[in-house]
Amino acid sequence: MASEELFYATIRDIGARFRRRALSPVELTRAHLERISQLDGKLHAFVTVTADRALADAKAAETALGRGDISSPLLGIPIGYKDIYATRGILTTGGSALLADWIPDEESTCGVRLQRAGTVMLGKLITHEFAFGIQFPGHRYEAARNPWDLQRMPGGSSSGSGAALAAGIAFGALGSDTGGSIRGPASFCGIAGLKPTYGRCSRAGVLTLSWTLDHTGPMARTVEDCAYLLQALAGYDAADPASSREPVPDYVAPLGRGVRGLRVGVVRDYFFEGIDPEVEKGFEQALATLRQLGATVEDVQIPTIQSAGAFMAIMLSEAFAYHEHDLREHPERFGELLRERLLAGGLITASEYVQAQRIRTRLQTDMAAALRRVDVLATPTSPKPAPTFTQVYDPEYGFPRGNTGPFNMTGLPSLAVPCGFTTSGLPISLQITGRPFDETTVLRVGHTYEQATDWHKRHPAL
Amino acid sequence: MTLEELRDRMKAARIEIAENRLEVVRRLLTDALRPIHAMDSRANRTLEPAVTFDSVRSRGDRGQ
Repeated sequence: MASEELFYATIRDIGARFRRRALSPVELTRAHLERISQLDGKLHAFVTVTADRALADAKAAETALGRGDISSPLLGIPIGYKDIYATRGILTTGGSALLADWIPDEESTCGVRLQRAGTVMLGKLITHEFAFGIQFPGHRYEAARNPWDLQRMPGGSSSGSGAALAAGIAFGALGSDTGGSIRGPASFCGIAGLKPTYGRCSRAGVLTLSWTLDHTGPMARTVEDCAYLLQALAGYDAADPASSREPVPDYVAPLGRGVRGLRVGVVRDYFFEGIDPEVEKGFEQALATLRQLGATVEDVQIPTIQSAGAFMAIMLSEAFAYHEHDLREHPERFGELLRERLLAGGLITASEYVQAQRIRTRLQTDMAAALRRVDVLATPTSPKPAPTFTQVYDPEYGFPRGNTGPFNMTGLPSLAVPCGFTTSGLPISLQITGRPFDETTVLRVGHTYEQATDWHKRHPAL
Repeated sequence: MTLEELRDRMKAARIEIAENRLEVVRRLLTDALRPIHAMDSRANRTLEPAVTFDSVRSRGDRGQ
């Protein structure tokens, strides 16, 4: 088996090895397929491994490299897709028994763009059922395990994406984020994940959870790797009604500009309620690092932040609307937890849904005001480290209030980046949020912080 | 939200949820609806449920 170092290299480093012929895409892909076969029996990150497709993609990349085509930094890079991204001719389950036999005849726009960039598709990564319901024991699909502690959740709903990246069985992954489903797994698995601005990356060909809250985006082990993936994914798509025509800047080149002179705002309300003391300590140390790097850190107020919980009313209502037909006709095909959550959405009145959207407008205005004073907002990504399966399988375990949902409400670009570990070895994460379509600054702050620390260089023992 | 109100909503929406799960659903909905019920919808009549996202270049012009 190839050395551990290979599986945790960066996309930039792999590209350099390809170009100097020290490594080939086929060698790299074969090594990944072998590692997946060795590790995934205990991780359950993949629903479907597309070995033949991966090797075909790798050979195509090798041919392109052979003729001197080095235009794409993602050429020959092995990637996994969250299993809510439709893949033409390849099983797409949504983590649900309802779609257990669905083989789409369409490809998601994000998938098309990654393929155009020359990536290698390793397979489909498990998602919480329809990106919302944890798989309980006995479910058609196994829940993914957290590589840092197999008895713990990797977060969700992009659970397989987070687990695969932390385990070094993919270099990048497609995630989706309705209330934190990219940033939560990134936080619990000690990797990086970016929820871009609403409309920045296409949702076309991706299963819906909540139309006005759903975002697609990249997950990787470093911020720079996320930037490479975003570069390929971002841009207008006529197939997505919410897609933006905002021009796509260069996300990679500005990463090295540092944070000197940037203003970082800290919202002390809401995001620290019920916080684990070790998470709080890790977050405060991250702020100290940003100060040392030349950023100004100051507290800011978002007067209506306590109303952000209305996010759940929007998500539940829209999810019920999307699934109502199947829920009423085939309730048995939904996992018990998901069915219960979706049905709860059917109990919210039309007036309550509209009021939640009005609250959303007010929260957007308040956040915009805060982001006129500072360049980015910093919060802990999750107030607590990854819970155990025993905890989440408790029938009384409620839906945890996270720190990520407010930025789905407001559509702002938001990045999770590792910022420490608890004494029991669980990752802690810093969330950096910026102005609409200013992913460049968000990534720059995250990259600068990451390069000044070594949290992203730690990997689980598997 | 009381359990009685939850049952009334279930009846109106023709939705069935197992009796032993009602308390969990009640808590979920109570948390989701708390900010909505706390809002005086008459206080800002011009507040619309519009969802728009403008670019960084126009920030501050119209909220976001």
